[in-house]
Amino acid sequence: MAAPERIEELKSAALAEVAAAGSTADLEAVRIRYLGRSAELTEIKKSIGSLPPEERREVGGAANLASGKVEEALSSRTEELAAAEREGRLRREAVDVTLPGVPYERGSLHPSQRVIDEVVDFFVGLGYGVAEGPEVETDYYNFTALNIPPGHPARGMQDTFFVDEGLVLRTHTSPVQIRTMLSQEPPLYIVCPGKTYRRDSDPTHTPMFNQVEGLAVDRGITLSHLKGTLAAMSRHVFGGDAGIRLRPSYFPFTEPSVELDVSCFVCGGDDPGCRVCKGAGWLEMGGAGMVDPAVLSEVGYDPEEYTGFAFGMGPDRMAMVKYGIPDLRLFFEGDLRFLRQF
Amino acid sequence: MRVPLSWLHDYLDFDLSPERLAEVFSLYSQEVDGVERFGVASGEVVVGEVREFGPHPNADKLSVAQVDLGGQVVQVVAGAPNPYPGSRVPVVLPGSTLSDGRKLRKAKLRGLESYGMMMSERELGISDDHEGILLLDDTYEVGRPVDDYFPTGEVVLELDITPNRPDLWGMIGVARELAAILRTDFRLPEPVFGTGGERTREYGLRVEAGELCPRYDLRRVSGLAPGGESPVALRRRLFAAGMRPVGPVVDATNYAMLETGQPIHAFDAEKVRGGIVVRRAWEGEEVELLDGSVRALDGGMLVIADEERALALAGVMGAGEAEVSPGTTDVLVEVATFEGRNVLETSARLGLRTDASGRFERGLDPEAVGYARDRVTQLLQESCGGSPAEDTLSHYPDPAEPSVVSLRLERAELLLGMPVEDDEAADRLKSLGCKVRREDGRLRVTVPTFRGDLTREPDLVEEVGRLIGLDQVPEELPASALPGGLTEPQERVRLLRRLLADLGLSETITYPFGPDRWERDLGFGGGDAPGGPVQVRNPLSAEGRNLRRTLLPGLLDAAARNRSYGVRGGALFEVGRVFDPAPPPEDRREAALQFRMTGEYDAGEEVSGSRLLGVEERGRVGGLLAGTVRPAGWNMPEYRAGFFEAKGLVERLVPGAVFLPPGEAPPFLHPGRSATVLVDGAEAGWVGEVHPEAAERFGLGDWSVAAFELDPALCRPDPVTGFTPLSNVPAVNMDLAVVVGAGVRAGELLEEVSALDTPLLAGVRVFDVYEGAQVPEGRKSVALSFTFRGEETLTDEQVKEEMDRISGRLSEAFGAEVRRS
Repeated sequence: MAAPERIEELKSAALAEVAAAGSTADLEAVRIRYLGRSAELTEIKKSIGSLPPEERREVGGAANLASGKVEEALSSRTEELAAAEREGRLRREAVDVTLPGVPYERGSLHPSQRVIDEVVDFFVGLGYGVAEGPEVETDYYNFTALNIPPGHPARGMQDTFFVDEGLVLRTHTSPVQIRTMLSQEPPLYIVCPGKTYRRDSDPTHTPMFNQVEGLAVDRGITLSHLKGTLAAMSRHVFGGDAGIRLRPSYFPFTEPSVELDVSCFVCGGDDPGCRVCKGAGWLEMGGAGMVDPAVLSEVGYDPEEYTGFAFGMGPDRMAMVKYGIPDLRLFFEGDLRFLRQF
Repeated sequence: MRVPLSWLHDYLDFDLSPERLAEVFSLYSQEVDGVERFGVASGEVVVGEVREFGPHPNADKLSVAQVDLGGQVVQVVAGAPNPYPGSRVPVVLPGSTLSDGRKLRKAKLRGLESYGMMMSERELGISDDHEGILLLDDTYEVGRPVDDYFPTGEVVLELDITPNRPDLWGMIGVARELAAILRTDFRLPEPVFGTGGERTREYGLRVEAGELCPRYDLRRVSGLAPGGESPVALRRRLFAAGMRPVGPVVDATNYAMLETGQPIHAFDAEKVRGGIVVRRAWEGEEVELLDGSVRALDGGMLVIADEERALALAGVMGAGEAEVSPGTTDVLVEVATFEGRNVLETSARLGLRTDASGRFERGLDPEAVGYARDRVTQLLQESCGGSPAEDTLSHYPDPAEPSVVSLRLERAELLLGMPVEDDEAADRLKSLGCKVRREDGRLRVTVPTFRGDLTREPDLVEEVGRLIGLDQVPEELPASALPGGLTEPQERVRLLRRLLADLGLSETITYPFGPDRWERDLGFGGGDAPGGPVQVRNPLSAEGRNLRRTLLPGLLDAAARNRSYGVRGGALFEVGRVFDPAPPPEDRREAALQFRMTGEYDAGEEVSGSRLLGVEERGRVGGLLAGTVRPAGWNMPEYRAGFFEAKGLVERLVPGAVFLPPGEAPPFLHPGRSATVLVDGAEAGWVGEVHPEAAERFGLGDWSVAAFELDPALCRPDPVTGFTPLSNVPAVNMDLAVVVGAGVRAGELLEEVSALDTPLLAGVRVFDVYEGAQVPEGRKSVALSFTFRGEETLTDEQVKEEMDRISGRLSEAFGAEVRRS
């Protein structure tokens, strides 16, 4: 057979095999068979030099053209097959994305602590410091320095746990205010979070509970400052619409003394059957007032020069309201079903 | 304090709904706990006369009556059998509504029409008596509304009176307060009575303990009609105010107390021998009180006695000896003021609180005695037919004087943060019973003796402020410019809490006091054992007696509770205080007590610590891993509580901590699986598996439990120290396996390595520990991976030299057989 025809034949055969190849390995075999060192086409190319000059051009051109075509087909088919194979591999690698990931389990923060952190952060933003003190406290710091001397009827307001003569589990965090005032000069702006204890146990009282108290002593502090501060704090913790209301009250360490109510952030007072405020429209948040001059004098501050306000709130109760928790006792049982919700 | 609104109408006029009244009282004075209704809420009750009365033909338990309502005879079906023809009864007419919400209609009861209902005392709000229909006497005119005689409905406000306002423990005080709030007139009826009874001074009066009894008045009322019961109008008020009618004499004293706030006691004069003596109890004196209990008294307690024996525990409760009985016709009425603190202490020591002691302990006004004395005299005459003596005996050596307090308006404005008008302030104070004069630009306020709580300027400011209205106070923020923020330790605790939560633990708060079981189950002695815990003297129950010395028992209890709820395990943490006894040395006991009671201590005395406090209180962060913290997943093994799980947490909280096997592990820890945690040589706490027997005792059975407890001050949750320059010189890693005795600890190997002065060694870690085949019995293979880095790329010789030094050292120190890979 004449070389050009043979070349044409080889080219057609090669192209057909390329098209039929099912894998890159098959293609490699095709390449070796038609373009390899000992392939017929290669042999033809090698033999060109020995051809008569008039044939060289024709055979050389046909051979190069043919091998070029085959190479081209090989390369494009290789690319095709490689792509298909890559795709296939990815397909095989597919996972069930609905299976869970590697667990990085989330723990939780106690709801009361969450409220305490929020309240503390709010006051830190206003320039308050945070003060702490012991839970086993002396009679003096817990009562007498707060204008509740022995025999004062107000001692009966707080059922006290006694540890030793003159030693109690603190009934409020107010002794921290005393300790701080005794060690610092005014102006003074502090919040005091901590655990407190009263001899009381029923569905709405636990013998231990959390408190956050605050104290601001400066020149020209007024009840309006207390009201403004507590209103802003309530909006921070309960949301933008919360309003507050003060009612008269009595504490031996403040004069005037007030109770703090926050408007119900759930119903705003519009729902007589509201689960949060029971239709009252207001939620009791704590007590407050202007620091009694007897307390200021006791710590060596001049009550004519300085005035101050103090307040105390129950973060446990605030958390009950904020998260809709019906029972205070849940707070201190370590029940994971409860804790993990926060 | 329960306040029937009909009673207030004796002293002022008002026209507000009970709900509005409650709100107003809460906003301007005292908290109102509730509003309660009795009797007929709306409608009509008339006096009827029973004409015929007989059994209901269709029902065994019902009766039927024909009742004359004054010109109209109606048929009424009744549930009680006590009326009879001719008896007068209250009949509530159809269309009326009872306080419990029932609405009355003309109705057929078992086939017979009933026009309204004949009423029991309970249905009228007179008492709890529901045995029969209330029978009225002849003074009730047939056909007239019963309300002409006494109110058939009542609304009671329940006030929560603050301890500074004993004046509000009587209806008169509440009425005065309400009048001030409503800015209306208040009137106080003058007691009127005739005299002519036996003379009081036939008895003596001797006050021996004047310091406990500022005033003691005695009046005799004789010729009392024995027996019977108090008039309905009086009884129903007592009932609405929460007291039980006893008999006419006692009812009268109680009624006058509710009205005035002044407790009053009546003695049967015939049983009093010689006269009344107010004295301290004799040591060990025993007295049988009206509640039947026999109390042993001491010299700190005040008794009212006659010449022979105690007749009453002053201000608390009467004794049986001179008790008024139904046959009593002659009484000595005591109206007195006892020192409040003494009454408080006596009632606290005996665990006996009464209506009287609750009032006295707040400190009553001796000036109020006169009015109350006259008022009860009037009542004893009106409702018991008694004849008051003309004379009274009185011990009142130092009459109370009204105090005078100055009020500067600018000071009021400063405290309240709102404008206060001169006239407004004066008017508000006058409405409370003060007299006000203007002097030198300030108000000179004469405070009535019944307001003993108003002694200083800010006390007056409070009164003015609340009566103007706290809603008038504007909202402002103080203009402070102080740097605030958390201190470093506070910030650290917050980071610790967040970190532990992020590591999968749940924050919990547990009670710091627990039962004796805690101590025993942890492996200590009981709560009372020597060296035992700090104890609460008056716990709510024995369950809360011992203060915790570690956070562990609370966490273990919590784990056990969770286990009982069906979980398979969990992870908890708590930040809280623990308490250790630190009793002051014998020679400092006195100083300690002084410090505790007065805050005073000698210069140079150590007070910052626990020395005078007697309790050492420390902050702790504790964690507990229990059972299967996380079950196996499709791609993860289960996460069970164990030593290394807990240790890993500690390593995260305190990077660089050193873990030492404890010399002697606390009894609650597994002795072979626990460690002391050291930070820079200081003991920071412990970590370990809980002793299996302790876990068992806490009800955790077959669960593995691991825990840690650390001093937060030594934790470093965010351990950033500064910048270390980066090196681009490649590091060389070399592994080494050493076979050592099974008892050699990895930490010892690492310590030995780090003791070598090897500047090229950049790090070493243990990556495998193996015991078993190919390793001789009693030995183990520990595989270590070393990282070397120099200032320039290290040569093989340099690295080999280092590795030779290391293996040589380990062979020498531990007889280690070295296999290099």
